[in-house]
Amino acid sequence: MRRLLLALLLALPAAAAAYDRGELAEFNDLYRAGQYEEALEGYRQLIAKEPSNQWGWYNAANALFRLNRMGPAVYHYAKAFSLDPRSQDIRGNLDFALRHTGQKLVPEGAPAALHYFYYIVSERELKALALLLFWVGCLAWAAGFLLDGNKWSGPACRAAAATGLLLLCSLAWLGARQTSAFSSAGVVTKAGGTRMLSGPGDNFKTYASAPEGRIVKILDTDDEAYYEIGLPKEGIKGWALKTDIEKI
Amino acid sequence: MKRNLPVLLALAALLCAAPAWALLTVTAATDRDTVQIDDNLYLTVTVSGDSASVPEPKLPNMQNFNVYSSGRSQSISIINGKITTSVSFTYMLTPRFLGAQTIPSISVFNGREKAVTSELTVTVVKAARQTAQQPPAQQPAPKPQRPSPAARNAAVKGERIFLKAETDRKSAYPGEQINISVKFYTSVPLSSNPQYMPPAFKNLISEDLPPVRNGETEINGIRYAYSEIKAALFALAPGPAQVGPATVIAQVPAQDQIDPFDPNFFQKFMAMSGAQGRSMEFTTDLVKLDIKPLPAGAPASFGGAVGDYTVTASADRPDARAGEAVNFSVTVSGSGNLKAVIAPKFPDLPDFKVFDTMSSLDVRKDNDVITGKKTFTYILVPRSEGRKTVPPVKFSYFDPRAGEYRELQTEPVSLMVEKGGQAARSVNFNPGTGGAPVRASGSDIAYVSDRAGRDSLPLLSGAVLSLPWWVHTGPLALLTLSFWLARFNRFKLANPLLFRFRQARGEASRDIEEAEALIKAGKTNEAVAVLYDSFLDYLSDKCGLKVSALTMKKAGELIKSRFPKATERSLGEIRELWEALELRHYSPGTAGKEGASDLAKKYSLLLEFLEKELK
Repeated sequence: MRRLLLALLLALPAAAAAYDRGELAEFNDLYRAGQYEEALEGYRQLIAKEPSNQWGWYNAANALFRLNRMGPAVYHYAKAFSLDPRSQDIRGNLDFALRHTGQKLVPEGAPAALHYFYYIVSERELKALALLLFWVGCLAWAAGFLLDGNKWSGPACRAAAATGLLLLCSLAWLGARQTSAFSSAGVVTKAGGTRMLSGPGDNFKTYASAPEGRIVKILDTDDEAYYEIGLPKEGIKGWALKTDIEKI
Repeated sequence: MKRNLPVLLALAALLCAAPAWALLTVTAATDRDTVQIDDNLYLTVTVSGDSASVPEPKLPNMQNFNVYSSGRSQSISIINGKITTSVSFTYMLTPRFLGAQTIPSISVFNGREKAVTSELTVTVVKAARQTAQQPPAQQPAPKPQRPSPAARNAAVKGERIFLKAETDRKSAYPGEQINISVKFYTSVPLSSNPQYMPPAFKNLISEDLPPVRNGETEINGIRYAYSEIKAALFALAPGPAQVGPATVIAQVPAQDQIDPFDPNFFQKFMAMSGAQGRSMEFTTDLVKLDIKPLPAGAPASFGGAVGDYTVTASADRPDARAGEAVNFSVTVSGSGNLKAVIAPKFPDLPDFKVFDTMSSLDVRKDNDVITGKKTFTYILVPRSEGRKTVPPVKFSYFDPRAGEYRELQTEPVSLMVEKGGQAARSVNFNPGTGGAPVRASGSDIAYVSDRAGRDSLPLLSGAVLSLPWWVHTGPLALLTLSFWLARFNRFKLANPLLFRFRQARGEASRDIEEAEALIKAGKTNEAVAVLYDSFLDYLSDKCGLKVSALTMKKAGELIKSRFPKATERSLGEIRELWEALELRHYSPGTAGKEGASDLAKKYSLLLEFLEKELK
């Protein structure tokens, strides 16, 4: 009976995936036929249904790349990358699109292997891991109180200590990732780039422009119409219309 | 037939192949069909071939035109690795005779193929002033050209024939155009065609400025016929420069045979036999020029160009495939010594392979000013797909009029490079080496994914993160509870008497309820036993002494000592209940149902009373 229940539970997501795959195959056929606009529409429907499905973002990015809309393509690849940084396809295409816009996925001088390891899990996965470690740590410590009398030599307390150490590491990793290019970041999706103003309004002076497809840091989101954005490489910041930038 | 089949196939292949390499072509065209006798026209001969270089056309002997070379321009296109070259040779033609004049066929031969153009016909008409349909009597006299001071001086000396050379300036910068005019004046008819020997130049290079001008002028009352040859000079370096003597050797007749004022003086002059009269040599004076040095402060991109220029850049098409060659041209146009203009420094292009530069020159000499354009063609091969931009190319020159340097730059040129297809190959100027290593001709994004389902890790992380925040307070609450429980347990273990003291009342109450249940069940003896044990346990817990060691006297003393507020009445009640329970417990026969129930009530009331005093 237990085996039957398990089989049923496993069959449910498989059936859902089979349905999606048929729909996806239809959009992929459009892509293969060069009907990128139509394929893109389909991929966008998939994204609307499942915003955390990395393949929806990835395929939409491919269609946008073929349509030569570099800004939206980089944004969609970046979204896919933020969901599944381990995929070689996503990583490769993101790097390719970034190179087309004068950027690189792996910063200059950084070892590729280190960069890969740094992004081996997504921020969401890292947050979930931290939460799970918090749960396990609390439970182990509680068991240590009750079973080991809070003596650190007991197995429960040792497990709690190890989990706590792992939790600290994951939090440190998460903190370091907050400074990465894809954290609190956006992509310039407006064709031709966006103007950077010295303040949140059209009455302020334009003193720089960020090209289409450029990944920017979003520093302030409080204004209704403008983001305060930063270009770390150039060391400048300014205000750009929210409609010109998609937040990753 | 079967034996002959390979031979037939080979012949068929040869027949097919023959037109395949017959790719050398030549065309000729003039810039106009009609030209005045005193004007000139441009003949452009275009030679196209399938190799990187094509032969120069061989011009036929043209008696009816004076021919001057005016430059060449070249374009190379490489499509699918196949090179096609097209070179345009430009010639300036000065007509010599009126009427329909023929330009004969022009041929080219590359050692393998020969190609010829068709004949061209040009109509040569009289000069504008001569075509006016007016009677000769009423025809206004041609406006005499103002003679130069040197010519006037010569005329003053009474010379009938003389030669003068003059430059339009005495000082110039290196590369700045200086026009020199050599004029041969004669007031007597000549018996033969004079021979002109151009001057030698020092620190100068020259460029002819055709055609030879003929005319007449009056100097000090003497009418002279003159022929003028002009040339453009360009100084090579700062310092002194000089134009050596030019020489004309003429046969001066004993008697006039040609009227020097005849409009066709020179035609008649050339047609004459030179065997008559005496030979005379005429030379010009030495002309010295001062060449000034260029000022300091030249831009980094300055390559020695002097004049007035513009620069443009363009690609031969807006899009290409990765690995496919694109002709990228930088054109310098304007006035100046274009032959000496060198290619501007090309910027570094990491996105392209850049191949050798070719230059083509197209020179015009209208109004005695050397103008034209020089085109530098680079072959660019995009390495990868995407939008690629060739950055601006800088070009600097020295403007001699303003006396300052000017720096120009071209507009950036964008190319849309698509993925290299099967047809797109790397350009290889040395084909046929064979065994070339595999090389990437382009790159592209990976194909779309057909994986619909999400992976387990993103799915799990999504599920964890979608939980409401307060769920994550659960472990903390559990931890707090376990901490409190552990502490309580430790405290309880450390203070057993205290806990017995606090729990004594509760346990006694439960015992009373149990005893009442037994009484109701008719088990009075068991009920009394429960009450007796419970009462002793209660006193033991309150006094902190084991039951086995507890006597009525000991209990009384301990209560008095531990609870000073305990009254004698309560002690009396304790003794009374203890004795009654002992009596009933050890004499079960005396314990009736009502007696047992009374004992339970009495025990219950005593508990209430003692709880108030035993604190």
